[in-house]
Amino acid sequence: MRIDKRRFYHLDWYLILNGLILFGIGMMNLVSATSSFSSGSWNFIIKQFIAFTMGLGLMLVVMYYDYRMIANHSKYIYAGGIALVILVLIIGLAAGGARRWISIFGFSIQPSELMKPILVVFLANMLYDKKRQNIPLSLKDIAKPLFWTLLPFVLIVKQPDLGTGIVIILVSFAMLWYVGLKKSTYAVIFGVGAISPFFAWHYLMKPYQKMRVLSFINIDADPAGFGYHAKQAIIAVGSGKFLGKGFLNGTQHKLQFIPEHHTDFIFTVFSEEWGFIGSVVLFVLFISFINRCLKIATNAHDELGSIIAFGIASIFYVQFTINVMMAIHLAPVVGIPLPFISYGGSSLLVTLASVGLLLNISTRRYMF
Amino acid sequence: MKEEKYTSKYKWCTLVLVLTMTVLLIRLWDLQIMRGAEMRKLSEQNRIRVKKVIAARGIIYDRTGKVLADTRPSFNIYLTPEDIKDFSQTVDGLAQLLSCDREEIIEKMKAATGMPPSFPIKIKSDIPMDEVAKVEANRVYIPGISIQIEPKRNYPYAASFAHVIGYVSEISDEELKDKKKYKDYSPGDYIGKYGLERAYEKELRGTDGEKRVEVDAMGREIRTLDVIEPVPGHNLHLNMDLDLQLAADKALETRRGAAVALNPKTGGVLVLASRPGFDPNLFASGITKKDWQRIALDKAHPLQNRAIQGGYPPGSTFKILLALDALELGIINERTTYHCGGGFAYGNRVFKCWKKGGHGSVSVHRAIVESCDVFFYNVGLKLGVDRIHEIGNALGMGRLTGIDLPGEQKGLIPSTEWKRRRFNQPWYEGETVSVAIGQGAVWLTPIHLAMLSSFVANDGKNFKPHIVNRIVSTEGKVIKTFEPVVNAELKLKPGVLKIVKDGMRGVVNEPGGTAGASKVQNVLMSGKTGTAQAGSDKVKLGDHAWFIAYAPSEDASVAMSILVEHGLHGSSAAAPIAKGITETLFKVKSDIKEAKVHENR
Repeated sequence: MRIDKRRFYHLDWYLILNGLILFGIGMMNLVSATSSFSSGSWNFIIKQFIAFTMGLGLMLVVMYYDYRMIANHSKYIYAGGIALVILVLIIGLAAGGARRWISIFGFSIQPSELMKPILVVFLANMLYDKKRQNIPLSLKDIAKPLFWTLLPFVLIVKQPDLGTGIVIILVSFAMLWYVGLKKSTYAVIFGVGAISPFFAWHYLMKPYQKMRVLSFINIDADPAGFGYHAKQAIIAVGSGKFLGKGFLNGTQHKLQFIPEHHTDFIFTVFSEEWGFIGSVVLFVLFISFINRCLKIATNAHDELGSIIAFGIASIFYVQFTINVMMAIHLAPVVGIPLPFISYGGSSLLVTLASVGLLLNISTRRYMF
Repeated sequence: MKEEKYTSKYKWCTLVLVLTMTVLLIRLWDLQIMRGAEMRKLSEQNRIRVKKVIAARGIIYDRTGKVLADTRPSFNIYLTPEDIKDFSQTVDGLAQLLSCDREEIIEKMKAATGMPPSFPIKIKSDIPMDEVAKVEANRVYIPGISIQIEPKRNYPYAASFAHVIGYVSEISDEELKDKKKYKDYSPGDYIGKYGLERAYEKELRGTDGEKRVEVDAMGREIRTLDVIEPVPGHNLHLNMDLDLQLAADKALETRRGAAVALNPKTGGVLVLASRPGFDPNLFASGITKKDWQRIALDKAHPLQNRAIQGGYPPGSTFKILLALDALELGIINERTTYHCGGGFAYGNRVFKCWKKGGHGSVSVHRAIVESCDVFFYNVGLKLGVDRIHEIGNALGMGRLTGIDLPGEQKGLIPSTEWKRRRFNQPWYEGETVSVAIGQGAVWLTPIHLAMLSSFVANDGKNFKPHIVNRIVSTEGKVIKTFEPVVNAELKLKPGVLKIVKDGMRGVVNEPGGTAGASKVQNVLMSGKTGTAQAGSDKVKLGDHAWFIAYAPSEDASVAMSILVEHGLHGSSAAAPIAKGITETLFKVKSDIKEAKVHENR
């Protein structure tokens, strides 16, 4: 394998370093978050590190092939992704009432996670021509991308994995906005957006999901269930005060008051131990990382690269924002991992592959 | 390629990022700085947990102090879904350790859908010690699994006492809905559902305590801050006798039937056995669907307490009641005889005597000893059905006896009044003929007949049957003693009882007596056999076998009533059971001849 030396110099070291710092914080935080489990932290740290190494490998593979070539084949990748999502519905492993994982060679993977960057590349490939011609998208133009978004959305929500479904929908709309929409298209989207919550409430949402929304509106509506967890999460964050309780000194998560505190509620662990100061630093790191993604989008060689980079940026943004907002009770409880920080092999693998895509685009920005 | 179209979008993005950052920081400032102290206090309070301390349920003893029901610790396996790291690893590992099916575990988890994932699901109850050790040793490899020690009700004699002691089971959702009646109960609590466990729930249960504990980082208790001690439930001391009950239960074997033995001088219940039974331990450890269906759908109705709920025509045992009453009213005397030619013509029907050739001329003594039907047809007609109804009720038959068990059946001794109310028809004298020998509309439970035998045994006085003798606190303080309550005390004319008692002694001890084969060595037993037709004229089922008895014949200390469903003859099916109880009570060894007969069977 011959690697072009120029490309190495053109690597976006800012992005890499920023990502590594986030991952480092994530690993450190995971030690604390999992210290209360009877199996100890080691088990988790090792598994997460294996996922990181495999993710790096995947990242290199993604970087090696020109993103234009990848986009050219995105149809097949997308079809493969959909196949896995369907497979998970049939033979998936259930945990806590949901089928989200399939087991391959002893590894459990979560196909819905994979679907996120796949959809980004697939949609970008569909839309970049319009962007190049600078034609705002009409209703007819967005029909096709929306259809290919709704297909995985429906399959994933059926698992049920509402969190990933929401990410997919929001990212897809962000990309359409990025390509440019006609005024009439905006109007229709906002119109549909306004009534769809009512529709979802009456026809789509499961009782436990409704309970989460209700307990978001009134935290005391369900003090024993979701409301209780939301309350405990706020207590964890708030009790961190300005400086935090210190590394490994958090009590809320260790006493098992917060469910999924090593995955979806990981922010509460960090914020309890590192306080306001630590949280601000973490926010700045995330915002700077997302901003860097946007820079790559802006400086990309062509429209295709720009749209892909923007799509990836919006994945990071949506996940970061909803995850943190959920932990501090600004959003209902929904299962979305915090990139780099949450425990979970699939999430980390996909995060690194996405970084691979970004680097792929940024190193090729001077190519013609 | 920096173009205008990008920079404008980029500006929008920057705006969104700044806005997001602002909102998040304001919220964090509010939570961590403005309300930080308050939240810190709340998180510290979280270290303290309030745990329920379940009160020990009262122990149930027999009259000699042997334990019939107690509470022991049991180990239960729980699985918390949210702590599961690798689903198949946990489920497969657990299935292997507990040697159960993986599907079984998945089934249990499915049943808990809708519960939050932090809610532990009970996978298996009451696992043996070696499995506890195996699970403990492998816990690290199966995250999410936990072992809880919980008290479990234990019935050492299982089915033998099932119908008396009953069982406890987890309180049902329906019961919990009745907030008024069950206000002190919460989900998962155990409650008496049947038998004494139900009748004496209030006394047995005690009061649960509470303890506030400080938990460590693992959620384990490190320090108990304060405890409100639970108040254990009171113990019950029964009038029942373990050895007698086991003897009766064993004697019934696989037959369907019941045996009741009362202390005639107090009404204390010595034996109350009903077969088939069921294992109450199954209920106490959370009965499985399969076990429940097996018990509930069993055609032999093991959940029916035949001793107080089974209604049967009393057959010839009923003749004792008629003899007493007729002698008392002077309708007959010791020397009154009727001729039995094997049948009795009344109206346009001939009522047969069981003995084809007839008994010839019989007096009351022989009529009891040889159970002559024709004699009592005559007596019954002279008395009339209403008189029979009246005296029966007075003795405690055909109405609730007031035994301290739930679900007792009233039984029925008909009267003209009853027939008019029930069918709006007059009573026909011909029906009295059937009633006179305990057939027709009359039906009674074994406990009713025990009331009759104890009335005779105690020379005209019987007591309300009572199972519990006294309630005693764990410290040994007697909370309540149940004094004997007189049910019926009749001043009978001198000599009346002697005639009937001589007759009943003759049934067992005289040549030609219907229960001659059940003579007991060294102890004089008196009794009366009964054979009651089962089913209708169309569907002929095997007759029910009755035997009522008391021993010793003078100054009796036990009065019994035995019923064997479709046992055919009281003499062969029911009387040996009474014999067995008497032998056990008086510690008489069955003679060798008798033992051999049993072997040959």
